[in-house]
Amino acid sequence: MAEEIIRTEHVWKEYMMGDVLFQALKDISISINLGELVSIIGPSGSGKSTLMHIIGLLDQPTRGKIFISGNDIASFTDDKISSLRSEFVGFVFQQFNLINKLTILENILLPTVYVRKKLEYNPVEKALYLMKRFGIDGKEKSYPNKISGGQQQRVAIARALIMSPKLILADEPTGNLDSKSGTEILKLLKELNQEEKITVVIVTHDPLIAKQTKRIIEIKDGQIDK
Amino acid sequence: MDLFRNKMRTFLTSLGILIGVSSVVLLLSFGLGLKEYIRQQFDSLGTNLVFVIPGQIFGNSGSGFSGMRSVVQFDEKDFISLKKLRDAIYVIPIFTKSIKVEGNAKVDYATLNSTTDEIFPARNLELEYGRLFDKPEVDKKTRVIVIGPKVIEKMFDNPVLALNKSLRIEGQTFKIIGILKAKGGGGFGGPDFDKFIYMPLKTGYTLNPDKKIANFLIKAPDNKPFDLFKEEVKMQMIKRYDEDEITVADSAQFISTISSIFGILNMVLVAIGAVSLLVGGIGIMNIMYVSVTERIREIGIRRALGARESDILYLFLSESVLLSLFGGAMGLTLSFLVVLIVQKFFPAYIDLMSSIIALGTSSLIGIFFGVFPARKAARLSPIDAIRYE
Repeated sequence: MAEEIIRTEHVWKEYMMGDVLFQALKDISISINLGELVSIIGPSGSGKSTLMHIIGLLDQPTRGKIFISGNDIASFTDDKISSLRSEFVGFVFQQFNLINKLTILENILLPTVYVRKKLEYNPVEKALYLMKRFGIDGKEKSYPNKISGGQQQRVAIARALIMSPKLILADEPTGNLDSKSGTEILKLLKELNQEEKITVVIVTHDPLIAKQTKRIIEIKDGQIDK
Repeated sequence: MDLFRNKMRTFLTSLGILIGVSSVVLLLSFGLGLKEYIRQQFDSLGTNLVFVIPGQIFGNSGSGFSGMRSVVQFDEKDFISLKKLRDAIYVIPIFTKSIKVEGNAKVDYATLNSTTDEIFPARNLELEYGRLFDKPEVDKKTRVIVIGPKVIEKMFDNPVLALNKSLRIEGQTFKIIGILKAKGGGGFGGPDFDKFIYMPLKTGYTLNPDKKIANFLIKAPDNKPFDLFKEEVKMQMIKRYDEDEITVADSAQFISTISSIFGILNMVLVAIGAVSLLVGGIGIMNIMYVSVTERIREIGIRRALGARESDILYLFLSESVLLSLFGGAMGLTLSFLVVLIVQKFFPAYIDLMSSIIALGTSSLIGIFFGVFPARKAARLSPIDAIRYE
């Protein structure tokens, strides 16, 4: 039986928007196994990004439980959750979210600054290896705003991989890229899933991208549609 | 670190701390200088001296002047009585008076000291021209005077010309036999030793018809504990006076009393200087709040990549401490430069303690005023921060 790495049980997320209660997620229960390539698809405002943030431990549900490798995170401290964000999950955002005043190399190495355990590899060597693999070598000392969008997203993927996470969460990773760069980024994520058995969850509104994954979770109005 | 990227902002923000630290350090250094100056003045009067003064000039607790009102007046009887102290190296009676002097058709004011010839070694007075008066001249009431160099500077272009000339004091004529080397003093309301005129005690009776003696200077022996000798002086005096009618003191007591008065004054000034540190601290807090707001998205990214609340707290706290410490170090450097210049005129100096206080205070200001913005940054929800536009 496949190893489950993340599971949500009856997860609700509610916000107050002025005086109105807005339900972003309604009773979401999903399970994702190690090594899966999953897409979460839905129209704008459907709650798919909220779900990704909750799975990625950036946000907390109003009700319901989250299990990481079988452990309920309700009892975890902020420090423990921060450590999981650093070691367990790697994020790839639509806006790339690189820090402009840090060099490309510093951006890739940023997660290693916050890790408390001793790394079993040389992070700089690994960063340089990832840069070479993704075709952005030689840009170590450049700054994010000096390279193209496609290159920035590769930097973001290298940063997501530097801690060797089990899970990569990509929120509209091709949303800000031209079609050629977008195809390349998608290819790269698929390669990581196939060759390194990293679980990849892609959040998208684009059915063409969703079709390239092995499993599609469709969200509409905060609920699972399929 | 953001500080290095925004050099102008860093400098301007540190300016408040720079001004605060330099004003506090400079005031402290002037206070230390003043203390040193007072000590030097007393040292120049000679060491191992006991002063006998009418009235109780120290309070019962021994600190602070409790009124300079003298209730008794010393005279020759006291001089004879004190001379009976076998261990005293010398007992010097001194009568002092502000006087008008005339010479070479010009008028000035000076301080008369009618006393004995032993005043010269006791006060470490050295001769520049001529000679000092001696014991036979003291006994014979010779009308001679030895003067400080400033007494005649208005009257004679060259002090040598004044030698063996006459000087009229309060209408009476005295012969200048010696001119002393400059000794300084006269700052901060203290006596100007170079405007002193020395004359034999009994010669001075013509200007002092009541034959009063203002105070006594007694040189203690080296082979006897100083306090014990002081006690003997006191015992000798209270044969005639009540204990609270006189003061038997040494220079250390004067120094500590004057120092404590100036110390309080200095602390008040330092406290006023510290207000600018407070203003500097508020400036740092203000700019740190701006910095947090500008970097909300960055905080969100760092949190998403695994930074804990404490990592964000330290990130901002270390920046505010560095900012403040930078201002403190600059302020200290500026103070060192100012003191270096001032030292040509005044013995101000910066001690290790002032430097530690300056840098310690700036670090504390950085922590105190940085902790609120840093806490605000640390407590931001990761998801709200990363979504911030």
